[in-house]
Amino acid sequence: MIPVFLGVAMLTFFVGNAAGNPIDLIRIFLKNPNPAVLDALRHYYHLDRPVWERFLYWLWDLMQGNLGVSLSGRQVADQIGLWTITTLELQVISLVLAVVIGIPVGVYSAEHQYSKGDYAITTVAIFGYSMPTFWLGIMLIIVFSFELGWLPASGASGISYLWGGSLFTDWLLHLILPVAVLTYVTLATIVRLVRANMLETLRQDYILAARASGLSERTVTYRYALRNAITPVVTVVGLSFGAALGGAPATETVFSWPGLGYAFARAAGVLDIPLVQGITIVITIMVLVANLITDLAYAALDPRVRID
Amino acid sequence: MSDKTPRRRAASQWAVAWRRFRRNKSALIGTSIVAFFLIVAILSQWIAPYPPRSYEALYEGSAGTPPSWQHPFGVESSGIDVFSEVIHGTRNDLYVGLTAAILTMIIGIVVGALGGYFKGIISDIVLGLTQIFFVIPALLLILLFARIFLALVFKGFGLTLIVLILSFFGWSGTAFIVRGETLRVREMDFVQAARSLGAGSSRLLFRHIVPNILSPVIVITTLNIAGFILTEVVVSFLGFGDANTTTWGLLLNEGFSYIRTDWWVALFPGLAVVFSVLGFNLMGDGLSDALNPRLRE
Repeated sequence: MIPVFLGVAMLTFFVGNAAGNPIDLIRIFLKNPNPAVLDALRHYYHLDRPVWERFLYWLWDLMQGNLGVSLSGRQVADQIGLWTITTLELQVISLVLAVVIGIPVGVYSAEHQYSKGDYAITTVAIFGYSMPTFWLGIMLIIVFSFELGWLPASGASGISYLWGGSLFTDWLLHLILPVAVLTYVTLATIVRLVRANMLETLRQDYILAARASGLSERTVTYRYALRNAITPVVTVVGLSFGAALGGAPATETVFSWPGLGYAFARAAGVLDIPLVQGITIVITIMVLVANLITDLAYAALDPRVRID
Repeated sequence: MSDKTPRRRAASQWAVAWRRFRRNKSALIGTSIVAFFLIVAILSQWIAPYPPRSYEALYEGSAGTPPSWQHPFGVESSGIDVFSEVIHGTRNDLYVGLTAAILTMIIGIVVGALGGYFKGIISDIVLGLTQIFFVIPALLLILLFARIFLALVFKGFGLTLIVLILSFFGWSGTAFIVRGETLRVREMDFVQAARSLGAGSSRLLFRHIVPNILSPVIVITTLNIAGFILTEVVVSFLGFGDANTTTWGLLLNEGFSYIRTDWWVALFPGLAVVFSVLGFNLMGDGLSDALNPRLRE
């Protein structure tokens, strides 16, 4: 974990120095930056030092939660908190839905291999697997927001009026489209994997033995087969969480979702280097924590795996 | 290459795979889709009614019109014919997908084979690097690198620069697979035999080990083409690509800004992405089934 963190920190830091130092880089895009902000950044990046020392100073500040000031003059750390919550809200809801729907659908597909239902499910899944998430978002916005007018097209809450009349319905209606898009794409991966693993597990001898001993098909499928087919799925759930977080710039931009991804896309667009570095570091930490949870879950499910 | 015996065995192995691949319906559908897009890409200059980034339709008075016989995919408000642009985009997106996939294949084979073959410090460093690149939120860094280097580096290099950035962040999956396979193959009898006959490290690696681990590499490279096309689409969509080169992502970017009125600008380039990526994914899955020795009866 620590090498990965250091690796990302180095990449984000040194690319920020690609033009010599971050201030010069910011100046390429921004012709009239706020001089007070530039002074603060000059101090924050220790520009009078050689580049390796600057990296160590920056890392030291990072450890203490000091992410510097963004070009707007506000502390980066203060801004990131709220974005992180909005992003997690979207990602966690979608991930839970994808797992809850994906596992039974994958099991069904494997149990009825080569049936019409199986073909339909695999076709829908492979499309989800091949689709840019954000593009599906655009299509849904065109249909459900602009053509039908049923759902809001952007944001996480109504600005001029509340959708559905109450705070709760407003929140819910804003969530539907982004959650649907993210769930579908993650769902596709989970369904494919559950199906493939179940097919392999259902061919094992101990499944035959379980059936022969007169257990119900339901018990055989869910107690015996799924339990063994699910461990690789845990890994993929962890990886898809990381992938979805990494893909957040595009999905959140389409829905103007006020999270880390949308903020990143805007900040990187104008090369707001401190903000970009801060968001990258926060997302990296979130991905690493997700991986850690995945490993722990894996160990809990598979007694052969031990955490050292 | 060298003597005849291993060559004939190799041929029969590929022949078996080819026979299995041909019987797989979805693999054939995928291959046909891929072939279709390749032909469009190669012939793009001749089949596209308008040159890339051309505003000619504006002077014909058809700017912002929905799909019609003359403009099957409609026209942007700026007067750009979407049908032509999707065709030009095919060429550029396949260029990005294919070259980035080949580059990552080369990096992946070299890194993975070194990490799997040698033991000790080299293996540890290589494994560590691969793990770092496997976990990092690559898209964020790709966007950042693209933004900074496209601003610093001269224009016209745009698409190739994107290819280099994508490859720099995209090789770890291939390297992992190559490393695992190398670890498996290096202990096999034929490698031990070659070693006891006095074959050196580089000969063992590139004559005996690498040719025997090509099947999974071919599969992952095919799937990588799909992945790189998707990533390039995101990069251009967010406006971090080369704004002077037509790509599907750039069209989606323009489509997104006309989302309220001109739905066709976002629909058709997106369909091109979905079907090309689907083609490579189906082909990759088919190759995976055909080359998988565990499924061979």
